[in-house]
Amino acid sequence: MQTDELISRLSQGLTPVRRVTPPMRAALGWLALAFGVVAVAVALSGFRHDLEHRLMLMHEQVNMVAALATGAAAAVAAFHLALPDRSERWALLPLPFAAFWISGLGWGCIAEFVERGWPALGMSLGCMSFIIGFGLPLTLGMLWMTRHAARIRPGPVAALAGLAAAAIASVGLSLVHHLDAAAMVLIWHGGSVLLVMLLARRWGARAMQAMRP
Amino acid sequence: MRCDALWPVGLPCMVLTAGEARSAQEERWGGLLAAAQAGDSRAYDTLLREVTPRLRQLARARIRDAAEVEDAVQDALMTIHALRHTYDPTRPFGPWMTTIATRRAIDRLRRRGRGAGRESDLDDLPEGAAAVAPVAEERIAARNLRDAVAELPESQRTALRLAKLEDLSLAEASARSGLSVGALKVATHRAMRSLRRRFGVEEGDERADR
Repeated sequence: MQTDELISRLSQGLTPVRRVTPPMRAALGWLALAFGVVAVAVALSGFRHDLEHRLMLMHEQVNMVAALATGAAAAVAAFHLALPDRSERWALLPLPFAAFWISGLGWGCIAEFVERGWPALGMSLGCMSFIIGFGLPLTLGMLWMTRHAARIRPGPVAALAGLAAAAIASVGLSLVHHLDAAAMVLIWHGGSVLLVMLLARRWGARAMQAMRP
Repeated sequence: MRCDALWPVGLPCMVLTAGEARSAQEERWGGLLAAAQAGDSRAYDTLLREVTPRLRQLARARIRDAAEVEDAVQDALMTIHALRHTYDPTRPFGPWMTTIATRRAIDRLRRRGRGAGRESDLDDLPEGAAAVAPVAEERIAARNLRDAVAELPESQRTALRLAKLEDLSLAEASARSGLSVGALKVATHRAMRSLRRRFGVEEGDERADR
């Protein structure tokens, strides 16, 4: 087909379109949804029995705030990156928060090691299924909201969506689940978040393609 | 404002005004797209026609092959169409369009890179296979070739398939088809000659083409 002909075809019968929601507003909308979903899950599961005690601990507060900041920054970055005219450097936004979060957990591991020797490491599949179970649907929700990125940069947007969803699920999990050892938190929370992010990176582009109008 | 009052030397002044002209143009394009978002098809038609040379320029910066450039331009136009709701009229139009055009050009290059990876095997095939295999950059040419092969007599078509496309030795091809080696040679030769004649390729020319 000739380019001229293509242009005529595209412009004939043009229908009005509704502009996409500005990225900041979309990010806030998605975050509100994510908080809602995770809050319901937390309410249904009940708080961990030692929540009050844990929340008094400085490092616990820092960890939760860092995870929350990582999730929020990743959401903001994803919605910006999904638009063609925004800089690719938006992808870097969650990095400092994520680094802070992970280094906090790592520091916890070292402190525990000094204090008690190797902490007892156990399986915590419950943690994993909580983060994946809430992380993946919330990721899909964001991919649906950013599906216009399918033709621009689907991979990075999907990875950020996975990071945002899993980080917020992890905050919810800290309120529910009992994990004392920082090493276990690092492995099971951090590992699950990474897993959701990698899954999103791997399959997100395909999911966006499928959701494209 | 008169330009040479500020810059007695001509060149920097020209650069400046070219930049200004470009941003004025992009502002106009942004306005046209905003109108198109509201459903103004005439504004949209104007916009697409005006941006096409720029899209071509952006594609040409990455792709050398002219047909491939035109495909990238069309891909970019279709992406602009699909993403027209993502443009925010309060922001500059240039980066929006540039990202789209660049993405599509890169996609083309990648797809072509993969295709070239598959095609390179064919260079190892015996002489003539290269002419039968996708010499055709354009699908139409490939189609024509398929049609031409389909119109060959049955024996020639079989010989061509076995000897040239499936790359069997003459003995294997003879065993498979039940034709004698001599008959296969003649049939293959005739098939190649009639294909060459049909596509206007001179004898011995077909490898130089690739």
